Parts: sequence; structure tokens; C-alpha cells
Amino acid sequence: MQNLIPAETAMAEVKRALVETLRVDAARIEPGTSIVRDLGAESLDFLDINYRLETAFGIRMARHFFLEHMEELFGEGTALDDNGRLTDRALAVARLRYPEAAVGGGGSSLDMDEVAGLITVRALAATVMDILATLPEKCACGAASWRVSDGTHIVCGACSEPAAFTNGDELIRQWLLSLPAGARSLASPQPG
Amino acid sequence: MSFEQKVALVTGSSRGIGAAIAEAFARAGADVVVNHRSAAGSSPEKAGRVCERVRALGRRAIAVRADISQGEECRDLVAAAVDGLGRLDFLVLNAARAPFKPYERLLERELHELVQTNFVGNLLLLRAALPWLERTSGSVVFVSSLGSRHYAPSYPLGSMKAAMEVVVRDCAESLGPRHVAVNAVCGGIVRTDSFKTLRQVWEGLESLPDDVLVEPEEIADVVLFLCSPEARAICGQTIIVDRGLGSRLFR
Repeated sequence: MQNLIPAETAMAEVKRALVETLRVDAARIEPGTSIVRDLGAESLDFLDINYRLETAFGIRMARHFFLEHMEELFGEGTALDDNGRLTDRALAVARLRYPEAAVGGGGSSLDMDEVAGLITVRALAATVMDILATLPEKCACGAASWRVSDGTHIVCGACSEPAAFTNGDELIRQWLLSLPAGARSLASPQPG
Repeated sequence: MSFEQKVALVTGSSRGIGAAIAEAFARAGADVVVNHRSAAGSSPEKAGRVCERVRALGRRAIAVRADISQGEECRDLVAAAVDGLGRLDFLVLNAARAPFKPYERLLERELHELVQTNFVGNLLLLRAALPWLERTSGSVVFVSSLGSRHYAPSYPLGSMKAAMEVVVRDCAESLGPRHVAVNAVCGGIVRTDSFKTLRQVWEGLESLPDDVLVEPEEIADVVLFLCSPEARAICGQTIIVDRGLGSRLFR
């Protein structure tokens, strides 16, 4: 855990990354804004946004969506059917991962390309905070004191080396493996 | 003069290297078929803008959506090109699609897609275009990358690029008697939107000096050269356009 960089800082950097990548007016960006549906981001834009956040915080964002990790961890076909649509199990996981996105109501599924549309500004900031929360207790040099440099970089108070965080892909895998078996039973479709 | 009244089909030309090639053909006097894969997202709009730029150069342009991994769509693409612009002289196989993952992590579905899009699809399209290219003694140029001959992390596309370079070498022999030229251009690190993907997968890419980066127009220039009469003695070759990056031991 860390209490050096507050959530407000993560949100501010996410907004800045969105403004710079998508060239949108900051006034359009609210915590609940969908980065794809409301701001028009595409897959390459996500790469750019993630790159800006990685540079800002010295972290490594996930390179792959949870769907790919599900297929690697649990077997092909567990997340996507032959038509590239999310399975019931993947929908249940999506609901857990994006609780404010009202995923898949009325028995309908999602195409894999629609998953990015579930990501809100709040969710992206939360992802940054999740990675920052993996701050190790000690630096590799043995010191147990961290400080913030430039407002967004956590560095060792003794040797000034940047903190090493768990990368975003590994966090997704850990989260998936922490879900009880049969995750579909844990979440029901949102109304509407 | 060698491109006037002629028609070029460039796959994956709504952006990046493909768009630069499409526009280069237009500047040289050819009409252009701009191909994109997706019906959704920004690709149709981007393809439309490429067409507008081609038309602004005084040439005809049509945008045709087709997924070249599908044989029927390859045939429809060629049909649309010929129906729309009357002939086919130059086929540029630029479209490519692959995940950035080590081979051992590719899912079975991804392996099939890798081969289908980047190898099978290119051959199906070549086959569909061949009758029209024979009529015009046309040219085929495949757009390859350094991954065909150098290791790059999480770049399984390189294996398909290598395979296609062999196809180029062999088809130049089998199609030469039919007066269809076949060559390839192998790009280095090209400054396109895909650079954003590459810099996240290849650590240290951003520390490469600017002078090794290749502009899309520089790839396009060599593609056009290979389609010109001046390249008539070049047969089945892959021309490397990388500012010397692939030759350097020390960088």
C-alpha cells in the first residue's frame, strides 16, 4: 500500500493524459466518462494514454485486456466464443471489473472490441492507484523510506532509485486468480 | 508518365505506411483503391480522408472495406477495384495484423489469425488480382519489416514477414514469364501511429536516435520505384529501407 500519491493526483494525471492524447476539452472529462464511447478513443489512443501514465508515475500499465488473460489462465474459449463475443463467464468478470458500466443486460453479450468501451476515467485512475498500491515495503538497497519526486514519482529516500511496482498485466492475472471459481454466480446483469 | 492512367490497390491504406503509399501513387499520376479492414471505428473516415487527398491531387480514388484474411473478401476487393477504376496495375500488400506476444503465449486462435491474415490472405489476394495484373504487366510489392530477419521481442509477425519474403522471391520466378513483377520493401522503424505500440513492447525504442527512424514517405518512394520501369531488372528482391539500423552492431 502507499499513501504518498493521493487518488486526486492519479485522476489529475489521467485527465491530463486524455486531454493531450485525445485533444478534448478538459471540461468534457468527468469520472464517469467512457473513454471510448464519450471521448472517441481508439486502441492506439489507449496505448498513448497508457504511455503517458507510465511516464508520469514510473509504472507499467497492462498491455492486454482481462479477456486475454482469462484465455491464457483458464483456457481458450473461456472468455470468447468462436464469434469473438464474450462468454457468460467473461461477462460476469467484466461486471466485477467495471461495476459502473452496466454490462450486458437483457441476456445480450458483448463483442470483444466493445470491452474497451467499458473503461471510464474513474476506472483508469483506479488502475493507476492499484499499481501504485504495490509499492514494496523496501527498496532493493534495503531502505524502507520512500519519497515523492516531481509530484508523481515515488523514489527511494536513501538511494533515489525509482520504486519498482508490479506491472499491470500481472495485477490483472492476480485479480483473476483471486476470483472464486464460477465467478458468473457472483454478479447478476444490471437492470436496463 | 509510367503511372498515369494506371490503378494501384494498396491494402491497409487508411493510415500509416499504406496511406503514404496511396498518396505517392496519386502524386505519380495513378488512381488508387484505398483498402481498410474495419467497418466501425475511425478506419472508414480515415480511408475517406485518404481518398479526398488523392482526389485533391487530381486522381480518382475509391475506398473499399475488405478483410484480406477472408478469401471471398479478397475476391470482392479486386472486383470492386476493377469495377470502380477499370483496371489493376499495382498491388501493394501492406496490411498486416498480429498480437504483440511471444510465440509461446499465442493462443491457438491467434496463431490461426496470424497466418491467415499475414500469409494466406496475401496469397489469396495475389491470386485474385493476378488475371488483372497479367493484362497490364503489373507489379506486386509486399511491405515487410526488419522482423523478417532480426529478432524483436513479442513480434510473431516477423515470421510471416519472412515467409512472405520467400513468397516474393519464388513468385517473381513463377510470375516473371507472365510479366508480373514481384518485389518487397522491408522497412526499419517507421514513424507511424504503430510506433506507439512498438515503444510499449520494445524497451529502449524511444532512446533510438531520430536519425534511424524512417518516414512513411520514404517507404512509399521505394515502393513506387519498384513499380516503375526503372526497376525492371529487379526481380524477387526485398529492398531494405531502414537507415542502416539493421546493419549496426553498436547502436
